[in-house]
Amino acid sequence: MTITRRGFSAALAAGVAMPAVLREALGQSNTLKVGMVLPASGPAADSGKYALTGAKIALERVNKAGGVLSRQVELITEDDQTTNPGAVLAFSKLAAQPDIVAFIGSIRSTQNHAMAPDILKTAKPVCFGGTDPQLTKLGNPWLFRFRPNDSYSGRVIAAYGAETLAKKNWAIVHSTDAFGTSGGKALTDSLGKFGAKVVIDQGYPNQSQDFTAVVLAIKQSGADVIGSYFTFENDLGIFARQLRQLGVTVPWVGSPSITTATAIKLAGPALYGTFGVADYAEESSPEAKEFAGLYRKAASTEPDNFGSWTYDAIGVLCAAINKAGSTDPNKIRDAILATKGYKGAEGEYNFDQYGDGLHGYNIVRNEKGKVIFDKHIEFDD
Amino acid sequence: MSVEAPIRAARRSPLRFALAPAHIGYFVLSALAVLLVSRATLDGYVLNILMQAATYSVAVFGLSVVLGLCGQINLAQAAFFGIGAYAVGLGTVDYGLSYWICLVIGTIAALLAGAFLGMTTLRLGGHYLAMVTISFQQIVTLVMINAVGFTHGPDGVPRIGRPALFQTSQSYLAFAVAALAIIGYCVWHLQDTRLGRAMRAVRDNELAASVAGINVYRTKVAAFAISALLGGLGGGLFAGGFTYVSPDQFSFAESIVFLTMALLGGVASPIGSVIGTGLLILIPEWLRFLKSIPGLYLAIYGVAVILIILFMPDGIWGFIANFMRRFIRPVPVATVPPLVLSPDRTGSDMVLDVKGLSKHFGGLKAVDKIDFAVRRGGIHALIGPNGSGKTTTLNVISGLYRATFGSVVLGESDITNLSPHRRTGAGLGRTFQNIRLFRSMTALENVVIGAERRGNSLIPATGGYAALEERALAALEFVGLGPRANEPITRFSYGHQRLIEIARALAANPTLLLLDEPAAGLNSSEKRALHDLLERIAAQGLTILLIDHDMTLVSGAAQHITVLNFGKRIADGESLGVLRHPDVIAAYLGTET
Amino acid sequence: MSHFLQLLFTGIGIGAVYALVALGFVLIFRATNVVNFAQGEFSMVAAFLMVVCAVDLELPYWLSFLIALGGMALVGAIFNLGVYYPLRHRTFLPVIISTIGASIFLANTTLAIYGPQPQVLPGWFETPGFQVGPVYLDSQYLLIIAVTVVLVAFQYWFFEHTLLGKKLQATSQDKEMASLLGIPVARMIMITFIYSALIGGIAGILVAPILFVSIQMGSSIALKAFAATIIGGFGDVAGAIIGGVALGIIETFGAAYISVPYKDGFAFFVLILFLIFRPQGIFGERVAEKA
Repeated sequence: MTITRRGFSAALAAGVAMPAVLREALGQSNTLKVGMVLPASGPAADSGKYALTGAKIALERVNKAGGVLSRQVELITEDDQTTNPGAVLAFSKLAAQPDIVAFIGSIRSTQNHAMAPDILKTAKPVCFGGTDPQLTKLGNPWLFRFRPNDSYSGRVIAAYGAETLAKKNWAIVHSTDAFGTSGGKALTDSLGKFGAKVVIDQGYPNQSQDFTAVVLAIKQSGADVIGSYFTFENDLGIFARQLRQLGVTVPWVGSPSITTATAIKLAGPALYGTFGVADYAEESSPEAKEFAGLYRKAASTEPDNFGSWTYDAIGVLCAAINKAGSTDPNKIRDAILATKGYKGAEGEYNFDQYGDGLHGYNIVRNEKGKVIFDKHIEFDD
Repeated sequence: MSVEAPIRAARRSPLRFALAPAHIGYFVLSALAVLLVSRATLDGYVLNILMQAATYSVAVFGLSVVLGLCGQINLAQAAFFGIGAYAVGLGTVDYGLSYWICLVIGTIAALLAGAFLGMTTLRLGGHYLAMVTISFQQIVTLVMINAVGFTHGPDGVPRIGRPALFQTSQSYLAFAVAALAIIGYCVWHLQDTRLGRAMRAVRDNELAASVAGINVYRTKVAAFAISALLGGLGGGLFAGGFTYVSPDQFSFAESIVFLTMALLGGVASPIGSVIGTGLLILIPEWLRFLKSIPGLYLAIYGVAVILIILFMPDGIWGFIANFMRRFIRPVPVATVPPLVLSPDRTGSDMVLDVKGLSKHFGGLKAVDKIDFAVRRGGIHALIGPNGSGKTTTLNVISGLYRATFGSVVLGESDITNLSPHRRTGAGLGRTFQNIRLFRSMTALENVVIGAERRGNSLIPATGGYAALEERALAALEFVGLGPRANEPITRFSYGHQRLIEIARALAANPTLLLLDEPAAGLNSSEKRALHDLLERIAAQGLTILLIDHDMTLVSGAAQHITVLNFGKRIADGESLGVLRHPDVIAAYLGTET
Repeated sequence: MSHFLQLLFTGIGIGAVYALVALGFVLIFRATNVVNFAQGEFSMVAAFLMVVCAVDLELPYWLSFLIALGGMALVGAIFNLGVYYPLRHRTFLPVIISTIGASIFLANTTLAIYGPQPQVLPGWFETPGFQVGPVYLDSQYLLIIAVTVVLVAFQYWFFEHTLLGKKLQATSQDKEMASLLGIPVARMIMITFIYSALIGGIAGILVAPILFVSIQMGSSIALKAFAATIIGGFGDVAGAIIGGVALGIIETFGAAYISVPYKDGFAFFVLILFLIFRPQGIFGERVAEKA
């Protein structure tokens, strides 16, 4: 087949026009729409898939139980390409559809930061999973967090390591991205309160191919415990393996990424015996167990926090809309903020004035590749 | 056509006048566009897309200058974009400065960074420039991420200020579109300036540009700096538009996106930049309906990029422009007074004095201690068998090679250590054995570059482009190609291209004209015409130093001949005497004698 | 001292990976004067082919390896026909953009077919590594270093002592002259692309057990390999190897003794220094003056 230039330009023109035609043809339906921004491509595309699964099973439950305001709920998703501009475009594309009543935002803090101005303009509730404590303190009334923020994860890691494990000399390893930096800072701040000290604080850039220098520095520092904030599981896997190869065996308490299914698959035995804080732990509550059952049925992978927070977000959001009795954004907002004692897969949601729903973490242990629930640490403030 | 309009009397060139309505139309259309975006009801999505397209386009303009006009690659445009964006972000948020001041600071910072980068590396060119810009890009990204105290690190800078006048997104977008229109006009206009013409010449042929008197290095640095400046300006506009910036928006991947935008739309024109930018933002958006399979739409996007590069080599706008060009008749050529040559006459009788000149390549002595002098007026020939060092001598005289030993004096000035463009400034003109013209230009544009030589006393300082064009046209008329002045180079025969090259040198009004085998590849009638042309040039008092193999031409035209063999001078003197010299006959005819 | 040796070993190991990918860059550059921005994706595709064969289909490792290499040969051939060949008469810029398009295409097609989860590919050896005195030697890194040495030796023998190698060299030096000598230039370029895809593939398969198999594994290595290529000189095979290893060592020691967060910057900082003070690379030939 030979393609002529003219033929090619005609095809190009047709290709350019087609999506618009398709969009017209698809038409409207009488469902209640929730928009969702998720990474379907780019480095975080796998977590996007889990998030979608979690949201979908929650949706199915809600719809089976009669929907919201006697309407079925529908999820409209847009890909954020794991980039900030991508997230802004994805969100504004959803926000431009007036029949969407609320949104599920991103699990990545920087993306929520990037979307925040548009969220403020749209003035509709956005449930998100990013854990940078700042996000709910921006003065943006439309942001609701469905995971415990990093000030809690830092406190829980510090509390567990310094009190339960009684280790006082800490090595902190964190990614230099927004998540890792704020997490590392939160952990450093909390350690002081427990009388422990940081002997080495080591940032690393994402997608590092080698951690030898980091591991050797930890080895030399004389740290007797490691606290970590890893963003991507492949970095975590490489680090874990080199840590063991170079003979570092001190206890390790990691941020939630250490407990995810992907991390456990990639790092294998290198993570045995480590501790992690997890907003989601299967054994932590009957609700968490129920979620695990539903999740395994829907997907071939193990349930983890990427799915559980969207599952809870849909659950809380739908309950709040039902309670509000209207899709008016202000009424939904009030209803979410009034949510107390909602038992979700991640824990009990008690929203505070800032829009933070969770105030504690689970500590889990990696026992030969199985995630074992250890205890839940909850804070009142 | 409007060529007959009274404005003609003001000596506006016909070409320029034909463009004038287009300029007015441009501003009318831009004003309409600004009005449209400020009045229409736009939802947030459309607003964001337009905002991104408008601000990115400014950065892509930068690439259309550095890549399209000057032919140099820049893979760090996102870094310059980021510098501008961070200046506005950090300035308005951390230092409480006004938006406008920040915008200026960011633009200047990007300009300085670009100029510095260009000055250190532009002597390398090509792939090396690609590498060094990639490195710069990576380092800027790392600093943005890691210098947390200064840049806020990976968190980025939220709540960036906008000017008081444009607080709402829609009014800011209108401002961005207006800025885009004005910047676009300047970029469009750039190619009509001296600098713009120099950039095009450098892109088309660096060597020819340098012997036409253009400072190639400085031109490249200027193009690179302008590109960086536009990147910074676009970034500043972007930061105000989205009110949030973070390092991952200015990564290497984004630089690639900018480059693809530029090439996709066509680098030759700012319109192409806008088209490319718009399309590259829109294509992934249109393909979102394929989102059920992650990655599929980006895969299609990848193929689309390949196909467009394959089937639309000049980009989309280039494709459209080529198509439209078929319907545009060439602009008729005005009549001009005949060409005047008035070579500089300061100094002794000898216009060129070459003493002890040597050029060694490693152990090879291509030119070995030759002496000769060219008498003012008339034609002097430099001949010799193949490999005798003639062209090397010419290259040393015109500065393309640096002399190993010896000196070259033109008129009163010693030019031995000058760079080629400064020799041209001093009054040297030359042509090449293998024709070196600016192939993307018309015959007239080629010759205008020559006329623009610094030190050309026949162009009045106040004459502007019209004077240059008049002189160029006269030079083309002189070589007999006046009526075809506005045709692109590619339409001329080989012989005519030679004449254009000579016209380019003549338009500069040189003191000495070096012709490197002008008769090579010409048929006999063309050779006769060339002979006649050389006589007419000499008749106006311009001295010619001629290299050629054609003995009929040499013996007929030259009064004085210098003969080289194996890099050494074997004979020098009045034509007929030299040609009868036994060594010369032996060198030429070898064993057959 | 033990730290020094450990860092040196890892530096050489990771440097060998850069060197292998850089080798692919250099071969294509020499043959076509074009930088192939999809070189990293060759590694990624090969690693995924290995995962499909060795992990999903549970074929023997050596058979999976052969199948993956066969697949890479095909990828290289199609790449040449679809991405380079139609643009061979154009300047280097459109070709670069075309390879960028191809890299986006390869990465996202793999994503569409295989999904986004990173995968685990077991190494060649059961033993993960050895403790030799104070230094831990990862067996996969040992293998990578060995393969790099063997490939360089092979390459040398191939280009200097076989007719095909000499034809390839002639093609890379002067295409017009080569075709006048009766060398089928188009076929030589085809062979170059296939060979580069194979080398890229081998690099990907070897490094997969260390870095895991993910969509972006290729692009992150390729950028470094790219820097290695410049440090070593763009037209030179030995240079690419030395450049790669040097980069690996610089990075590892830079991370250990200067800064981990700026680790990726050292490569590019060294690169800029090289470009300013020694643009021809470590081993680059002197560029002859020409008019």
